[in-house]
Amino acid sequence: MSVEHVLTTCPYCGTGCNFFLQVVDGRLTSVVPCKTDEISLGRLCIKGYNAHAFVQHPDRLKNPMVREKGQLVKASWDQALDRIVKALKEIRDKHGPDSIVLLASAKCTNEENYVFQKLARAVLGTNNVDHCARLCHASTVTGLLYSFGSGAMTNTIPEFDGADCILVTGSNTLEAHPIIGSRMLRAKEKGAKIIVVDPRDTPLSRISHIHLSQRSGTDVAWINGMLKVIIDEGLADEEFVKARTTAFEDLKKVVESYTPEKVESITGIPKEKLVEAARLYARSKKAMIAYAMGITQHSNGTDLVKSIANLAMATGHIGKESTGVNPLRGQCNVQGACDSGGLPNLYPGYQRVDDEAVRAKFEKAWGVRLSPTPGLTLTRAMNDAMAGKVKAMVVFGENVMVSDPDLNHVEEALKKLEFLAVTDIFLTETAKMADVVLPAACYAEKDGTFTNTDRALRMLRKAVEPPGEARADWIIACDLGRRLGSKGFEFSSPADIMAEMATVTPIFAGITHERVDGKVLRWPVPDKDHSGTRILHVQKFTRGQGQFAPIEHTPPAEVVSEEYPFILTTGRNLFQYHTGTMTRRSPKLEREAPEPYVEIRGEDAKKLGIADGDRVSVSSRRGSITLKARVTDKIIEGTIFIPFHYAEAAANRLTNAALDPASDIPEFKVCAARIERA
Amino acid sequence: MVNDLGRKLAKLAFEERGADMLLVMREEHGNVVPAMVPKGEDLGDVRLDIPYQLITILENIYPWVSKGRIAIITRRCDEKALAELVKRKYVDDKRIVRIGLACSEDQIRRCRCEDPVPSKVDLGEPHAAAKGDELISRLEKMSQQERLEFWAGQFKKCNKCFGCTLNCPVCFCDDDCVLEDRTFVAEPSVPPGLSFHMIRSYHMIDKCIECGECERSCPAEIPLLTMRKLLAKDMKELFKFRPGDEKTVSPLNTTLEGEQLEDGCDEC
Repeated sequence: MSVEHVLTTCPYCGTGCNFFLQVVDGRLTSVVPCKTDEISLGRLCIKGYNAHAFVQHPDRLKNPMVREKGQLVKASWDQALDRIVKALKEIRDKHGPDSIVLLASAKCTNEENYVFQKLARAVLGTNNVDHCARLCHASTVTGLLYSFGSGAMTNTIPEFDGADCILVTGSNTLEAHPIIGSRMLRAKEKGAKIIVVDPRDTPLSRISHIHLSQRSGTDVAWINGMLKVIIDEGLADEEFVKARTTAFEDLKKVVESYTPEKVESITGIPKEKLVEAARLYARSKKAMIAYAMGITQHSNGTDLVKSIANLAMATGHIGKESTGVNPLRGQCNVQGACDSGGLPNLYPGYQRVDDEAVRAKFEKAWGVRLSPTPGLTLTRAMNDAMAGKVKAMVVFGENVMVSDPDLNHVEEALKKLEFLAVTDIFLTETAKMADVVLPAACYAEKDGTFTNTDRALRMLRKAVEPPGEARADWIIACDLGRRLGSKGFEFSSPADIMAEMATVTPIFAGITHERVDGKVLRWPVPDKDHSGTRILHVQKFTRGQGQFAPIEHTPPAEVVSEEYPFILTTGRNLFQYHTGTMTRRSPKLEREAPEPYVEIRGEDAKKLGIADGDRVSVSSRRGSITLKARVTDKIIEGTIFIPFHYAEAAANRLTNAALDPASDIPEFKVCAARIERA
Repeated sequence: MVNDLGRKLAKLAFEERGADMLLVMREEHGNVVPAMVPKGEDLGDVRLDIPYQLITILENIYPWVSKGRIAIITRRCDEKALAELVKRKYVDDKRIVRIGLACSEDQIRRCRCEDPVPSKVDLGEPHAAAKGDELISRLEKMSQQERLEFWAGQFKKCNKCFGCTLNCPVCFCDDDCVLEDRTFVAEPSVPPGLSFHMIRSYHMIDKCIECGECERSCPAEIPLLTMRKLLAKDMKELFKFRPGDEKTVSPLNTTLEGEQLEDGCDEC
């Protein structure tokens, strides 16, 4: 008889809470919080407490499968891998390496993502490697790289405790990042003021001091409005601006016209409240900004992120304890998948593929010639598949058939592929369309590291064996690399992979599994004696001087019309997670939020004759779904909200794939829609 | 490598009291980790300063551990929790070896604990009870309306993690938890509303042994232990009953088992 408590990292949001998986004779019995964990402080959310529930679910994939006469049938690993290798070789020879796209995964470890991108770049010969960061914080990476030179949280989760003011926008923190939300509650108890800017009433906004409800897609306007108040009232940190930044004069010129009256007319935010919030944020000694998808998922997402950076720099709320710009990353390892090079234009550690010196370094390390051309983003790859230019996709742990915008388009694109291989833990909507399906080990069944949202390396430790013949993704990817004829995949363990990654990735140079096992290290960790970096941009910005960006308000890609009179916005709820693959197989989570719904304000519902609980049909220019109406006062008039977790009424059948030109992130947060009784 | 505390514990649990395994905390991976260590295995760097709720951990694994005597570190509140479990036959007393831990002054202060010393002290120094709960004094000065507002404000922070029930050593309805029943707690509700907390309060009223684990686990830091103490006070005054004694029966328990039914009643 054996009883073990295996310390590991939560597989849900990017907070990176550690907890123990309790294992009795190979059976997962429960989750126990880790009281000494500096991130979670021994507290978890309902998803964390149920993180063991899906692991040993009977639906787990246990064998490889290949498609024969239209059906997926059981196959051996050799058969399945040979099939992939044969297809990829043929397609590469016929259509060139750039006809293949590899999707890495924010659910896989840093080590696995490193191997995925190496497989794409060094073996397949293409930079076509991307993952779902494209759908969540791609605009953070582009925006903050421009403003500061580094696209991650500038400060850390524990610092929320010590803030005097926390400005939260586009983040339903208590539902999407509950344990970060609890830090905010803590700060509030200690006297901090909470400002929430969100078109929805969220659990956090209900206990905030100031809640500004803007119309979706009008964020540049309120940020510029706040900047104008700050500049006009002499609340800008002139000294900081002068010493540390450039282009402030350009910003001043642009925001000049954003009077509180004008901002009110664009955003619907009462001018007095805007002024009050601007003063509060600027005058606080330690003020933090936290944001998430409500900022990033717009067709001007990069500009919005830059605007947030403008606000922090103008007030000098950056580079110090309990300040900064803090994008809350949504997946357990979406930060790490970016760090590890799962992006088409960047090698591990945000090194550009079109930088010759960097490329030469990787060519030397990997012993191959590398493509100098940045690859396709996930969203562009779908368009190119549709156009017949992309012929094959190799997908690790992504469910694009629920997560991507405009699903009808995605479905058609995937059908056009000559070859699709999917590695996952369940037979997802995407896996169902594949030619080859490989069974993967989940987080509880392997070792490795995640990078959480505050850049901390968090260990995954194997607690139980994978089901059936399932294997860890890194083992699968290394096997593919070897079978495709490469010598660079002789790794014996995830620690071994990290050792190679550290040699080519300056921000990870001092990271080893041995070090991370006993201590929280946050990148950059430039050498083996360095104890990690809590606060970024302390003496100077990563790029040198902070760069202000003058930005004008522009309307969203799609505006309401007579036919589609509502703004549809999408997001998460507390109990489900993303495409529901894991949470919908966790009975206690599914019980709390079992079916899809659309939130609509009482006044709007009344006009349309819709009552709470009615079946309604919601349509956009791209599709239509049927689901239950939830009549509420938690949303502003003219806007409706649908959580995106439910494949049976997938919000992404409706969403608009309009892309932010700088980052290719789609505009999930705004599209025009119609709602009527079904 | 075993530390001095570990050596002492191994002697107590395995040699003197005949346990087959010991549930304890030790240092691993830079953290303090609960561990079930079989007899003969190195106990490692034992730590007793972090208040893990070992009784809850024991309960989770107990159904799967069918054989052997389990030694467990028991604070005074843990003793009382065990009494509630043994009384209900969730745990077989003969399989449990208690190793009494007297809580530190600091822990007693944090728990506002009025009963901190276990019946047998094997580890730690006994310290005096805390002198009341400061929040109770504040609440008692408030009007009923103010008190209601205070608690309503606290419960508004609840994010429905169920940590208060999951980590509670004497909350054992498992899959039939009334808090998951839609009749009492509506689905689309975060925060879950007052009824959620009221139901839980009264469900635990004849079992709560004031270990404070609900409060420690609460991400919203709702002062749940203070609420428990207030309810315990009522329980004591109204029914002269305090949970945590194996020999007493809850005054709220009424049972018809073994009782003669009145003549003529065959409807039930």
